[in-house]
Amino acid sequence: MALVAEPAAAPTPAPSPARGRWGLGPGGRYVLSRVLGSAGTFVFVVVFNFFLFRMLPGDPISLYTRGRDVDQAMMRALRTQLDQPLGAQFLDYIKNPFAQTLDSVKYGIPPWDVILPRIWPTLLLVGTATILATILGVWLGIRSGWRRGQRFDKVSTTTTLVLYSMPEFWFGMILLIVFAVGVFGLPGIFPIGGLSTPGVDTSTPAGWLDVAWHLTLPVTTLAVIYLAEYSLVMRASLIDEMGQDYLQTARAKGLRDALVRRRHAVPNALLPTTTLIFLNLGFVVGGAITIEYVFSIQGLGSLTVDALDGPDVPVLQSLFLLFSGAVILANLVADLLYAKLDPRVRS
Amino acid sequence: MSLTARRSLRTRLLAAAGAGALVLGLAAVAAPSAIAESATPAPTGGAAGGKVTFTIGMTTDIDSANPFTGIVAEAYEIFQMMYPTLTDYSAEDFSTVPGMAESWEESADKLTWTYKIRPGMKWSDGQPMTAADAAYSINRVKNGRYERINYGSYVTNIIKAEAPDDTTLVVKLKKPTPVMLHLAIYILPEHVWKDISEADVKKFKNEPTPGNPIVSGGPFVFVERQVGQFIRMEANPNYWAGKPAIDEVVFRVYGNEDSEAQALKKGEIDFADSLTPNVFNSLKDVAGIGTVSAAYPGFNELAFNTGAALADGTPIGDGNPLLKDPKLRQAMAWAIDRQALVDKVLGGLGSPGSTVIPPNYPLLHLDPADPVGYDPDKAGQLLDAAGYKMGPDNVRVSADGQPLSFRLFGRSNSTTSKKSVEFIKGYLAAVGIQVTVTNLGDSPLTEKIGQGNYDMFEWGWVVDPDPDYQLSTFTCGKRSYKDGGTIYPDLSDSFFCDPAYDKLYEQQSTETDPAKRAEIVKQMQQILYDQTPYVVTYYYTDPQAYRSDRFTGFVPQPSPDGVLLFQWGTWSYDNIKPVSADTGGSTDGTAAAGATSGSGTSWGLIVGIIVLVLIAGGAGFGLARRKATDQDDRE
Repeated sequence: MALVAEPAAAPTPAPSPARGRWGLGPGGRYVLSRVLGSAGTFVFVVVFNFFLFRMLPGDPISLYTRGRDVDQAMMRALRTQLDQPLGAQFLDYIKNPFAQTLDSVKYGIPPWDVILPRIWPTLLLVGTATILATILGVWLGIRSGWRRGQRFDKVSTTTTLVLYSMPEFWFGMILLIVFAVGVFGLPGIFPIGGLSTPGVDTSTPAGWLDVAWHLTLPVTTLAVIYLAEYSLVMRASLIDEMGQDYLQTARAKGLRDALVRRRHAVPNALLPTTTLIFLNLGFVVGGAITIEYVFSIQGLGSLTVDALDGPDVPVLQSLFLLFSGAVILANLVADLLYAKLDPRVRS
Repeated sequence: MSLTARRSLRTRLLAAAGAGALVLGLAAVAAPSAIAESATPAPTGGAAGGKVTFTIGMTTDIDSANPFTGIVAEAYEIFQMMYPTLTDYSAEDFSTVPGMAESWEESADKLTWTYKIRPGMKWSDGQPMTAADAAYSINRVKNGRYERINYGSYVTNIIKAEAPDDTTLVVKLKKPTPVMLHLAIYILPEHVWKDISEADVKKFKNEPTPGNPIVSGGPFVFVERQVGQFIRMEANPNYWAGKPAIDEVVFRVYGNEDSEAQALKKGEIDFADSLTPNVFNSLKDVAGIGTVSAAYPGFNELAFNTGAALADGTPIGDGNPLLKDPKLRQAMAWAIDRQALVDKVLGGLGSPGSTVIPPNYPLLHLDPADPVGYDPDKAGQLLDAAGYKMGPDNVRVSADGQPLSFRLFGRSNSTTSKKSVEFIKGYLAAVGIQVTVTNLGDSPLTEKIGQGNYDMFEWGWVVDPDPDYQLSTFTCGKRSYKDGGTIYPDLSDSFFCDPAYDKLYEQQSTETDPAKRAEIVKQMQQILYDQTPYVVTYYYTDPQAYRSDRFTGFVPQPSPDGVLLFQWGTWSYDNIKPVSADTGGSTDGTAAAGATSGSGTSWGLIVGIIVLVLIAGGAGFGLARRKATDQDDRE
């Protein structure tokens, strides 16, 4: 890492010949083009997002008022906004796509008020699992790639692949039955579901422990299942590097094998993994619908499913804005980080 | 997130590994501590410790705690625990009994109702609860545009409500109405709600913050909500009927019924309802758990397009005109084996259907004198007699040569609906009627029905104790309507229209004598039964289960086999108590619960230690290996 990632600290910072019209170096131009590209993508998503959900069939107002006594004047009032001409609705929307004037059809409050309380459980669940899977996966990948074909490699590759191929809800249910319900006379030591025990104040350390206790099974499920993604990519790219001449050189200089791996092979093998990590981080907010279902966690995944039922267009619209925004942002960060990791990308 | 920070890979990995170990370690440590700590709330529940918490599992979170916004059953359960109504529905048979009002009187011209409000009542914050609060709440619904969405039907005939003194409420009417016996408008504390303007009420969440519970006039005070997780309510010491015997009621949200059942077995919750037949049956023989397949006012129907039209009579839609013939619809009723549907679709948790007011309401339900049963031969004879002769391919044809071939819609997000339509298809095929089944989402199906673009569909209703709403769905005036060129559905989904029925509907809507009104309501059920816009396929029950080793004193509504919770009223909440407080002899349950929690603690500790040992061991092993390999490399 130290060898590749510090171009600014190079001893002789000769003025770059490619310095452009706006005084930007190639690095600056790279950053600018990435940021502009992402912004363009996001604008497209914002526009597309509007029309996508207008194409869903259905009459949400009638559905949500079925079984209630709402006279026609009230129905008309409820429908006014949803029934405006598409052009007028679009103008209204594009003025500020992030603070819609439309309320959630189902909950009657602004869509972000519906979404915000669900973001935290999602981040806690999928975020923690993704980070754990990344760390363990990369570590496993390096270990098994470096010692390709040996017992550790065989065992870890097979195990992670087997876990990866298991349906996550099924694996989650097994963990739930063994550790929460209890089998063979063992009592279940983890809770059946939820994020915290009612009555425990989650702002205290005891409350955090309570949340960690509730999250153990779902996070373990997700992390274990995601593991193979990272370990296999890391393993493959490390193997690619292993035949390279520069490693021979490093060894010839007398470096220990562990140092060769850490300083030379791994940093160069990290690029594909970086892409994967950031792609997945972008998808974190999307939630994990099946795991949310199995472990009774009300995150954004289950909210999306509920909202599709109506359809609750304002909520769906805001959700997809959030999802696509997160993915675009994560990709942008990955792109920018690339430039840091690999100077070739900038030129 | 530290991944963007610039650090060397090594430190990043180490730091992250540390974090990972920390999470696992935390979990391990948390297990025992959380169990030990929760001696008062969920896991031990019951009567252990000082506070008695009754925990209810549910699979749907409330949609809103604002009584003008929330519509799901779970939300109404919270509302009625917080806010009183003038009168209540009895637990016995849904007859009217005193609530916030201890007595009431209808004037001779039937246009003025005077309620005597109980004296000396208090809200949970100590403010007096008087007739003024009642008048305020009724007028707010009457005059509020948004407020009327949930309660509009109760105020249609009200001119205004007044409180001449603290114990007298006078309501003036445009025309007589039996609704005044059951004015199901929640009485809200005026001193709180007067600060919420009409413009703000839509966005008002009515949720507590720490130290600021929601002011309540019912048995429980709403003290905490975590969206999507739980709702916590504490007993109201100022409740006029007396402080409940349990200190706390917690509603916990679970993702599915299986989790609920496991949580019940484990003791995380004390009550679960709306269970699936499989889950319900799995709980039947578990020691310490009581189960009841409780009578419930819900029915499902096979509905026909009896001639789709707007309220003014303009025909709409593309429904098959053959279904306008009541004889054809009646014959189909004979072809459907409703008992088999109960057995196969509901797993036996229900009973065959007859009329649109379920037997759950014993005072209103009509048991038809000559019931329609399952008799395919008779169905065939009726069809022959009505001129629908068997044609080629075993499909009957009408007198003018049209085949009896219909579209039947089921609901794609309802397992029971999808099963029902397949059975119905089979039953009808057996008597020479061809059916094409399509399953749709609720929203597209609502649209299709409203525009009359269907022949038959399968859906259901939950019927109020006041029959007005259900009966109105068959009146001519509730057929679809046109607004700005678009056709919108109203309440009618069969487009049934019969002047004789409408006349009876008007009569019952002004008859304030319960017995006389019941008579009219029964006549109306007979008309619907004969004309068959619906074949009521079954009445389903609400499969409920509870920890009988911990709590006792549930009051079923109606008596004796009705629902134990999610009732009309708070009968069970007012009366349940922990088992140990009930009799000295039955402390086994509590002792067992305590024992479980004790062993849970030690198991948590053991596993925690194992996890920590594994982490330490793994780290040591890794270090050892690294050393070994380093040596290998040097050689």
